[in-house]
Amino acid sequence: MTTPTMAMKVLRAPRVRRSSTTFLISAVFLGVVTLAAIFAPLIAPYPPNQVDLLNIQAGPSPAHWLGTDALGRDTLSRMMFGARTALLAPLLVVVFSTIVGILLGLLAGWRGGWIDSVLGRIFDVIFAFPALLLAIMAVALFGKGLVAPVVAMSIAYAPFVARLTRSLIASERSRPYVAAYRVQGFGGGFIALRRVLPNVMPIVGAQSTLNFGYVLAELAALSFLGLGVQAPTADWGAMVNEAQAGLIGGYFLPALVPAVAIVLVVVAVNVIGEELSDRIGGEIPA
Amino acid sequence: MTLLDISELTLDLPNGKRLLDGISLTVAEGETVGLVGESGSGKSLTARSVLGLLPSRATMGGSVQLLDQSVLDASRSELLALRRTRASMIFQDPRAGINPMRTVGDHLTETMRLCEGRSAADAKAVAISLMEAVRLPRPEEHMNQYPHELSGGMLQRVMIAGALTSSPRLLICDEPTTALDVTTQAEIIGVLAEQRASRGMGMLFITHDLNLAASICDRVYVMSAGRVEEQGDARQVFSNPQAAYTKRLVAATPTIVVARDSAATADQGADASATTSDAVPSTADAAASASASATPAPVEAMLSASGISKTYVRRGKEPVRAVIDASIEIPRGGALGVVGESGSGKSTFARMIVGLEQADTGDIRIAGRERTSVPSSRVERLEHARSVQMVFQDPYLSLDPRITAGKAIEDAMRLHRNLSTTDARARVIELLEQVGLGDVHAQARPRTLSGGQRQRVAIARALAIEPDVLVMDEATSALDVSVQAQVLSLVEEIRRERGLTVLFISHDLAVVRRLCDETVVMKTGEIVERGRTIELLGNPQHPYTRLLIDSVPRPEWNLEAVAAEASELEDPVAQN
Repeated sequence: MTTPTMAMKVLRAPRVRRSSTTFLISAVFLGVVTLAAIFAPLIAPYPPNQVDLLNIQAGPSPAHWLGTDALGRDTLSRMMFGARTALLAPLLVVVFSTIVGILLGLLAGWRGGWIDSVLGRIFDVIFAFPALLLAIMAVALFGKGLVAPVVAMSIAYAPFVARLTRSLIASERSRPYVAAYRVQGFGGGFIALRRVLPNVMPIVGAQSTLNFGYVLAELAALSFLGLGVQAPTADWGAMVNEAQAGLIGGYFLPALVPAVAIVLVVVAVNVIGEELSDRIGGEIPA
Repeated sequence: MTLLDISELTLDLPNGKRLLDGISLTVAEGETVGLVGESGSGKSLTARSVLGLLPSRATMGGSVQLLDQSVLDASRSELLALRRTRASMIFQDPRAGINPMRTVGDHLTETMRLCEGRSAADAKAVAISLMEAVRLPRPEEHMNQYPHELSGGMLQRVMIAGALTSSPRLLICDEPTTALDVTTQAEIIGVLAEQRASRGMGMLFITHDLNLAASICDRVYVMSAGRVEEQGDARQVFSNPQAAYTKRLVAATPTIVVARDSAATADQGADASATTSDAVPSTADAAASASASATPAPVEAMLSASGISKTYVRRGKEPVRAVIDASIEIPRGGALGVVGESGSGKSTFARMIVGLEQADTGDIRIAGRERTSVPSSRVERLEHARSVQMVFQDPYLSLDPRITAGKAIEDAMRLHRNLSTTDARARVIELLEQVGLGDVHAQARPRTLSGGQRQRVAIARALAIEPDVLVMDEATSALDVSVQAQVLSLVEEIRRERGLTVLFISHDLAVVRRLCDETVVMKTGEIVERGRTIELLGNPQHPYTRLLIDSVPRPEWNLEAVAAEASELEDPVAQN
């Protein structure tokens, strides 16, 4: 009954579509880090665990661009190998939590009713536990290493994705195009999985990208606490931990390099995630 | 005295797009000036420029003089003063224009207390007298009510009262009745006309409805694509349009006035008792109808629904009886219109017929098969879909934004028939051509198509399934008049070619007249009158039908008579 009028749309100043410089820098930075991680065995100047006791706590030099640590191991090489666990583990968490979250969110949002209520309460319970606490509990139960924390963090992060998916699906479900599919004779499963889900995926994807940053920081914290990646394997969080002792002696570099790397990657991921969600135009609940 | 003088107004966006191109218009004291045009014509933008509500970073040219003050180069405080004392604006959607968390009283007294420094008691007295002036039934009570407690029509009265608090010299109305029912529209227009007359204000009235403009305006400006196409005396422009655009627009506007004349002549020959309010239209009657579609004499009802009822039970509230014992029958190839205002249950009725909702009681049969129950298997579901298809109101929402037009049609087609990809593609192009689109549109996503094109895609998608019955739920209401005319002729053509049976749901009597042989009128869930459309319009039996017909704006519109009729039917304000 209402006549759509262009006037309201026009009043908003047209937005200039342009990738921001920070977005490009972040993307390039993440690309470089990822490539370094993938090709670490080929491009790293030294094996990550090669001890050189004659060259401990060395400053930057042509031989060791980022210096060496307390055991004389090359920091740059360890950073490259460390990036593999630092990036791969959060990636696994994001993939698992997204898959589980989407499935549960779809179920809750599409079916509604008691399924929605029960799942909602379960999510609330999981929300009550900080992800890091869940991960530490998992380590306590199943032993140190990356497997238990990755599983625990996947469980902890799935409700974020699920709750977002649920609300998106629920609002999408009441739209006329879904009714139109029903009238055409399409089955509920087809409409939900093949038609509605792809329409909400961009927003869910942006949320998952943001999650990646948080998970990376939390897993690094876990390794720093000595509960994640175990020595002598190179990992950014573990490297900060190992370099603690050196800090008292005034050797900042071995701790500073991985710490800065963690911060930069998290910031870069957040920049990209927010830019993506801006472009999609969806609101990402915190 | 000239209140508003816009001359050679231009507006350019930073991207070089010119939205207004040399608009000139004047409004004198006590005069109602209409600004008529379709969406995107720039009519709202022109009106907004009067109050300095302009897009950011737009470049303006020309001049806007409001009471000898230039608006375009006014400072912020000058603009504020203009808005506070000289001109007010009423917007289309009253619900969007009023703060839902504040009471009606707050809304009305706020500006008086803050801008004019009146005391709370004084402001309240003024607000109450204004509410009386716009004929709100219980002003004292409304002061403490929240917007959600009032109907759309009452809220629009509140907005009008709010606009009048500053005693403006110029009142700008931007489609103030577009979101309202026809009977409510007639009441609101009555209030506006009365206030304009008693205050001697000038009024700039923006609308897309030619009939409405013709009935209330002294002069009109017809706009298209940012230009004024024609201007002049309101009646003159519509009875004898000069510009090609106006001619097209007038021709495209459906009207019920002609129906009365032709019905009058038809009545002489026809038996006057043919239209009785409760008689189920017999198939023989429809066959005899001269305006029935060119199909062979129908033998059985294609769609028959009998005794359909639906009640919504709400927790902690009174249950709502959306549809009460409604029965319709459409012969093969026939077209039945269901007319009613919002809340009449016409859409619920349509949704039950296509199976989107389940009726509490009653029986729906399509092509002789029972279609009341929920399909329990895939086969039944597909059979149900082949028996009835639906075209929805808003083509912006009823198409999946991600799926191209061609794919949407192809999917629907291949769900129901085994076709090879190439056969299906060829058939899709065929269908698109049938609805006036081409193979270029097959690759287009909905957002790149215009409203009319989208609705054509939606129609093609419904036809792809080759249904027995096509239900159109307000299928042209969201479209501009010229586009609406195109879509209506398309539907007429398809009916002729395929002998399609159509159930057409609409609030617009004129549109129904154009398309449907027979019409039923629904009011609060009940069918109050039924009969051949021409007879129903020419010789309405039920007082509500008469009110509906008389509420439709036309040049010789008698608002007082409409108001009298409304109060006769029941207390109209209590209903709204």
